[in-house]
Amino acid sequence: MSTQVHANLTEEQVTQISEQLGEPAWLLETRLDALDALDDLNMPDVIRTPGRNWTNLDALDYETLVDPLEWEQEKDRVDAEGVEVLSWSEALADHGDLIEDHFGSIVDPQRDFLTALSTALFSAGTVVYVPEGVDAEDVKIRTTMNSRSLFNYTLVVAEESSSVTILERQHSGDEQDDSQYYSGIVEVAAGENASVQYGALQNLSKETYNFSVKRGHADTYATLDWIEGNIGSRLTKTSVETRLLGDSSESRIVGAFFGHEDQHFDLASRVWHEAEHTVADLVTRGTLDDSARSVYEGVQDVGRGAWDTSSYQRENTLMLSDESEADASPKLIINNHDTEASHSATVGQVDEQDLFYMTSRGVDPERAKNMLVEGFFVPVFEEVAVDELREDLDELIVERLQ
Amino acid sequence: MSSDQDHLKDTDTEARFEFKKEENSAFETEKGLTEETVRLISEDKNEPEWMLERRLRALEQYQQMPMPTDWPGQPDLSEVDIDEIVPYIRPDIETRGGAENWEDLPEEIQDTFDKLGIPEAEKNALSGVGAQYESEIVYQNMQERWEEKGVIFCDMDRAVQEHEDLVKEHFMTKCVPPSDNKFAALHGAIWSGGSFVYIPEDTTVDMPVQAYFRMNSEGMGQFEHTLIIAEDNSEVHYIEGCSAPKYSAFNLHSGGVEVFVGENAHVQYSTVQNWSKNTYNLNTKRAICEADGTMEWVSGSMGSKATMLYPSTVLKGPGSTDNHITIAFAGEGQNIDTGAKVYHNAPDTKSTIESKSISKDGGRTNYRGLVHISDGAEASSTSVECDALMFDNESTSDTMPYMEIQESKVDVAHEATVGKIGDEDVFYLQSRGLDDDDAKQMIVAGFIEPITEELPIEYAVELNRLIELEMEGSLG
Repeated sequence: MSTQVHANLTEEQVTQISEQLGEPAWLLETRLDALDALDDLNMPDVIRTPGRNWTNLDALDYETLVDPLEWEQEKDRVDAEGVEVLSWSEALADHGDLIEDHFGSIVDPQRDFLTALSTALFSAGTVVYVPEGVDAEDVKIRTTMNSRSLFNYTLVVAEESSSVTILERQHSGDEQDDSQYYSGIVEVAAGENASVQYGALQNLSKETYNFSVKRGHADTYATLDWIEGNIGSRLTKTSVETRLLGDSSESRIVGAFFGHEDQHFDLASRVWHEAEHTVADLVTRGTLDDSARSVYEGVQDVGRGAWDTSSYQRENTLMLSDESEADASPKLIINNHDTEASHSATVGQVDEQDLFYMTSRGVDPERAKNMLVEGFFVPVFEEVAVDELREDLDELIVERLQ
Repeated sequence: MSSDQDHLKDTDTEARFEFKKEENSAFETEKGLTEETVRLISEDKNEPEWMLERRLRALEQYQQMPMPTDWPGQPDLSEVDIDEIVPYIRPDIETRGGAENWEDLPEEIQDTFDKLGIPEAEKNALSGVGAQYESEIVYQNMQERWEEKGVIFCDMDRAVQEHEDLVKEHFMTKCVPPSDNKFAALHGAIWSGGSFVYIPEDTTVDMPVQAYFRMNSEGMGQFEHTLIIAEDNSEVHYIEGCSAPKYSAFNLHSGGVEVFVGENAHVQYSTVQNWSKNTYNLNTKRAICEADGTMEWVSGSMGSKATMLYPSTVLKGPGSTDNHITIAFAGEGQNIDTGAKVYHNAPDTKSTIESKSISKDGGRTNYRGLVHISDGAEASSTSVECDALMFDNESTSDTMPYMEIQESKVDVAHEATVGKIGDEDVFYLQSRGLDDDDAKQMIVAGFIEPITEELPIEYAVELNRLIELEMEGSLG
C-alpha cells in the first residue's frame, strides 16, 4: 500500500540531510533504519466502520509531495531566561548525550509509515532544554513553511522541578500553487515534578497536507498540558498523546478547531494512565462550516495498576452548515476498578433560543451567530495559559467567521 | 411480588438451567460444514428450491469471508472451528413444526421445559409460546383469539412451507443479508428452527409472545431464525429466552433476527440470554422501521463464554423511533461484547441507547456502538448513555462508541461513566443492618433497574435471580 513513496527516496538523500546537520552516527543510523522500515509499515490507523473509512490517507500522492532535499523555512525562536532553545545542529553539538537519551524514546520512530518517513527526512526543528529547577517564561517558536514539503522535529526535555510554557505556530509563507506536505513530530519528556504546557497553533495554507504526532511522558508529580489549535491545512491527521508514567502525574489535552470549505481534520486525544493517583482531562471543541469534515477519536486508557484514577473527556462539535460532517469516537478502556471516569460528546447547531434572545436585543442575526460561535470556544480559551496563543486563536476564529 | 411468581422462587434457578438430558435425536448431521451438509438439512426439511439456493449462496459467502479478528478488545474466536460442531440435530419427536400440547412431547423434553418454567409462564402471562430443542421447534401454541384475528405465530420451517410468499420476500433479503458478516452468512447456510411472527394491520397483541431456545447436546450449534413482520398500526412484544447446560466442548449459537416495523407499528424485542459458559453467542439482529414506527430492543446478556451482539435498527421512515436498553454481566472467563447500531435515514427520527454493564472476577464487558445520521435526516436526535460498574481490579470495561453525523440540524449526545461500586453506598446500607453481600446485591439491582422495569415481571424477577446467582459468595 505504501511502497510508492520511497521509490525516489534514497539512502544518499538521507545521509546528505544528516551530514548537513552535522549529526552523530547514531542519529543517521536511526534515520536509515526508519527509511528501511518504510516497506513494512502501514499508514497511521484510521477509524473504520462498516462501509466507511473515516479518513483516507492512502489516496495521498506522496510522490509529488515529498521533496527531501528541498526544504525552505523561516524559524523565529524566542527563548526565555534559563532555557535553551536550539536548532538541531546547535543542540547536537552542545547536548549530544541528552538528545541521544531522549530522541525516539517517546515517539517510536517506526510507529507507522508517516512517522518513519518523518524521522528519516526531518531537517527542520527545535530542541528545548529546561534544566533542573528552572522556572521559565514563555518560549515561542514560529515556523513559516516556504517549500513543497517540510519535516519538522521538536524535542522538549524538562528536567526535575522545572517549568516551561512553549508556544509553537506553523503557517505558510509564499503561496504555492501545488499541494504541500507538512509533517511534525513533537516529543516531550516531563521529569519529576516538572510542568510543561505545549501549545500549538496550526494555520497552514489550504493546499497543505498536515501530519503530526505529539506525545509526552509525565514522570512523578509532573504536569503535561497540551493545547492543539487547528485552523489551516486541507487535510490534517494529528494525534496528541500523554503517558502518565509517574504517580500523581496529570495531563490536560485541550483542542480547538474550525474547519471550512473542504477541510478535513482527523484529530485524536489519547491518554494512558499507567501509575497511581493520576488525573487527565480531555476537552475538544470545534466548529464546521461549508463541507468541512471532522473526525475525532478520544482514548482514555486506564491500566491495571492505575489505582485511584480520575479521567474526564468532553467533545463538542458545532455544525454551521448542512454539508459538513462530524464523526466522533470517544473511547474508555478501563482495567482498574478504582477509577472515576466519564466522557461525553455532542454534535449540534447554534442554539435557536440563544439566537432569538440575541436578535431580540437588537443584534443582527449574522453578528449574533458569530458571537455565539466565538462564545462556544470560551471553555477552551480558558484553559490556555499563554495570552498570545489565546489571542491568536481567538483572532483566527473571528477572522474565519467573517 | 404476587403469588404468580411463586413458581420462580420454588425452583432453584441454577438447577433449572444446568441439568442435562440424554441426547436423543432422530436425525443428526455429521460434524462440520460442507455443501453436502447444507443440502442434507434442506432435504430433511423438504424445502423449496429457492431456499436451498439461498443457503448455498450464503455458504459460498461464508467460505469467502474472513473471521473478524482485528476489532480492539473483541472476544477470542480462535476456538470457534465450525468443523468441530454439529450444525443440525432434529430431536426425536413425531410432530414436525411443533406440538400444540406439552403432553404430546416426549417426557424428557417436557421435563426440560417444565424445569425452565415455560408452561407455567404460558398459563399466566403470555399470548403464545414457542419452544426450540436443539435445531427444531418442538412446541408452538398461541391463544385462539389471536389466531382468529389473523396473527401468525409458527415455527420458521413451517412458515417456509405455509407462508412461502411472505418468507421469500423478507427472509435474509433486505434486512440481514448473508453478506452482512461471517456469522450471518453461516447462519444463512445452516439456519434451522426459530419463529415466524406476523401481526396484521391495526392489531395489538397485548400479552407478550415468547420463544425459548434450548441447546442440550454437547458440541452443537444452534442457528434459529426469527422473522417478525408487524404491519401498519400493529403492536407486539416478543420475548426470547436462551439456555444450555455446560459441557467442556464449545457450543455455538448464531441466531438471526429480522424485524419489519410497519407504519406507526410498535415492536418490542426482549432477550434474556443465559447460555452456559462454554457457548459462543454470535448473533445478528436487525429491524427496519417505517414512518412513525417504534422499535425497542431490550437485551440482558448474562451467560455465554463470549457474546458479540449489536442489535441494529434502520430508521427508514420519517418520525420513526428506536430505543435500546441493554445490560451485560461478565463474570470469570466471560467476554461480553455488546452494543447497538442505529442508522437515521429519515427526518424527525429519534433514538436512545442505554447500556449498563457489570464486570467482575476478571470478566470483560465492551460497549461497541454506532450511530449514523445521514444527510437529510433533519431534526433527528440521538442520545447514548453507557454506564459501567466494576467489582474488582481483574475486570475490564471498555466503551467504544462511534458517531457519524452528516446532517447539521440534529441533536447528538453521548455520555458514559465508569466507576467502582461505591464504598459509601455499601457503608450506608451496612449501617442499616444489611450484610456486605446483600448491600452489594441491592446496589447492583438498583443499577440495572431501568432494564428490569422494561420486562414483564416474570422476566424481571428471573433477571434479578440470575444476577444474585452470579454474585453469590464471590464478592470481596
